[in-house]
Amino acid sequence: MSVEAGLVPQPSELARVELELRSFHVHTADWGDHLALIDGHLRVPRAALVTLVLQDPRLVSVDPVWVRAGEHTRVIHVLDAVEPCVKPEPTTAFPGFLGPPDVAGTGRTDRLTGIAVLTAADIPDQADSQGPKEAILDMWGPGGTYHPFSGLTNLVLQFACHERVSIAEAVAAGRLAAIRVASYLAGAAHTANPDHVERLALAPRAPDLPGVVYVCLAMREGEVHGTYLYGKLVESLPALLHPNEVLDGAVVSGDYWIACHRVPTYYYQNDPVIRALYARDGREIAFLGVLVCRCLIPAQAEKHRQAAQTAKVARMLGAAGAVVTMSNGGHAYADQMLICQHLERAGIRTAISVDEYADRDGSDFPLVTVVPEAVAIVSNGNQEQVVDLPAAERVIGGRDFRAGNTYEAAFSRRPDEPLSVALRQVYCATSQSGFGRLRCVAY
Amino acid sequence: MRIVHYLNQFFAGRGGESEAILPPGMLPGPVGPGRLLKSHLDGDAEIVATLYCGDNYATEREAEAGKKLAEFLAEAKADVLVAGPAFSSGRYGLACGLACRLAATLGIPAVAAMHPENPAVEIYHREVLIVPTAADAVGMDEALRALARFAARLGNGIELGPADKEGYLPRTRRNVFDGDTGAERMVAMLCDRLGGRAFQTELPLPAIDPVPPAPPIPDLRTIKLAVVTTGGVVPPGNPDHLESWRASRWAKYPLDSVESFTCVHGGFDNRFIRDDPRRVVPVDALRELEAEGRIGSLHPELFVTVGNVEPVERARRFGREIAAELRAAEVQAVVLTAT
Repeated sequence: MSVEAGLVPQPSELARVELELRSFHVHTADWGDHLALIDGHLRVPRAALVTLVLQDPRLVSVDPVWVRAGEHTRVIHVLDAVEPCVKPEPTTAFPGFLGPPDVAGTGRTDRLTGIAVLTAADIPDQADSQGPKEAILDMWGPGGTYHPFSGLTNLVLQFACHERVSIAEAVAAGRLAAIRVASYLAGAAHTANPDHVERLALAPRAPDLPGVVYVCLAMREGEVHGTYLYGKLVESLPALLHPNEVLDGAVVSGDYWIACHRVPTYYYQNDPVIRALYARDGREIAFLGVLVCRCLIPAQAEKHRQAAQTAKVARMLGAAGAVVTMSNGGHAYADQMLICQHLERAGIRTAISVDEYADRDGSDFPLVTVVPEAVAIVSNGNQEQVVDLPAAERVIGGRDFRAGNTYEAAFSRRPDEPLSVALRQVYCATSQSGFGRLRCVAY
Repeated sequence: MRIVHYLNQFFAGRGGESEAILPPGMLPGPVGPGRLLKSHLDGDAEIVATLYCGDNYATEREAEAGKKLAEFLAEAKADVLVAGPAFSSGRYGLACGLACRLAATLGIPAVAAMHPENPAVEIYHREVLIVPTAADAVGMDEALRALARFAARLGNGIELGPADKEGYLPRTRRNVFDGDTGAERMVAMLCDRLGGRAFQTELPLPAIDPVPPAPPIPDLRTIKLAVVTTGGVVPPGNPDHLESWRASRWAKYPLDSVESFTCVHGGFDNRFIRDDPRRVVPVDALRELEAEGRIGSLHPELFVTVGNVEPVERARRFGREIAAELRAAEVQAVVLTAT
């Protein structure tokens, strides 16, 4: 019998997952002859960018425009927002899409801060209720307070697909365009010096600190809308991820449903729950990992299976506590509440994040369903409250609102007009990822 | 500041349960607990009149009681109405709610006091300012102090802060921007729980009233059965304009016409129902069961609404109204298809 040397991994190798995240800040951005980032000024060659995007035969045109902080610009038909990031070859950003689905979250990643790539398109409804919902993004004023993009320089890719491309293929083309452009832009970093370098790693597990898992429910519904984990749609079972994987492009949003509670790719790349847990890791808690689950599971038994498995995995990891976020609405609340219930019954304390359907005047009970175990709930605001948005000087993304079956009177107006509109239609306004500071207070 | 105090017949000294049928009346100055309330009032606030009504009269003859109370309120030239404390008395609580609602229609600010589990709270808390009290008169003094405090604020036109801070029962939920993100607050809340520290949920759970199910039907072959659906199945063109969410109404249609109907429910992909509405209204299967003698008969009307984000209060009302019609038609069982 022989023993092969060197096959048993050393504990230190297993424990040491570290991501060197280098941030390069973009103060201004505009078209230029060559891709470059000099003293915080980004220059992008327009023709090269268009060529890059139009590699995709599904696309017939793309019109990229800069939309800058403070402009009185209203972007409509918003699909996704992505932070530019790139990894050194042979690894790629957004594994599963731009390269093989190798595990993200280690090595080095360069990202551009102060900037986002947005996609917007008027995708004609074919299957009636299933197309992308309208989403309004204001770069100034009251509408600009509900998301971070009003403080960034955004490159909005307005695209159009060939007539015979289905809705699912059209949004897929937009998705690929966004992450391709995001990765391309971040390539400008190689000539610059980073403004900030972080080494993201979990502290060695301290046995006296309570273990915490982050249960992140990612939406998936029908043929058009879903969340992607390494290039494939999320499944109804908990997937254990190192927090770095989420920050490093493992999760890509394909959610183009109700505007207010979307979790764009940008929010996963900057996941605020992960950041908050990292800040306390090794001090107050031991951050054990992220469990990415699915919400909007259509069958009761499948919901139950996921909840039971999630609680089981959390226990196997040694969790004493869990935070649980969700995206979208309706059935998604049931998935979240069921997981909360299973966790609590397994002896794991929870805190969960929701948004509210409290009617226009805030008088209705705000949740679709509850479990008695949900004693610690954080609110991200009432999506039905009406907000007044001023007239816009410029409208990007389309000509007219797509009303669909959104029961929204404001959508009969022109997009540049002043609008009284339910917060529901404002991009990310009540995102249950907890990215924003909006909440409800009882009066 | 002219304060009018509403009490029931008992606390107004007009009698006990047998006097619960007394119509509304008005007495000058403070009466009964009103005297203790007066001692907690400051400055120029005085109780100029006491209104009372028998608990049964107020709840069973609401319209007449309301009319009379409104007249008295106007006559007394009230600046503020204070009602109760009703503690756990349900009828008294309802009467307090009614009085405060009336006051609001007259532009008079009002505050009531009762135990949080008083049945009147569920009905009135959205529109009426309610101060929580103990379950019974052991908490009288504390309740009156709270009423005095709120009466003064209302009378002086001082805007109230959040329910938690001020100590009244939550009415509505309002969007505000916090200093911390939702993520930070959620992680902090969990850490408080794990550290055994006090924490406060941002969304208290409702008291869900358990509805005991009706007893099972011993013999289906004798019963008349109706179909009710929240699936939003309506005739082509949606003639009654049933909304796709937060429906304001319900409707009834001939059950046997359902195959030609469409679906207006906006909460899911309703293509499959539009293709064949019998997927959510199983009239074909039910007619088979009827033909086989397995059920007695089918009620010819289908009751329809859209369940998508329906406010709880309205859903309750729809249920009561539909149940009344079913009873009148001697229907004994319902197949309710929710979506």
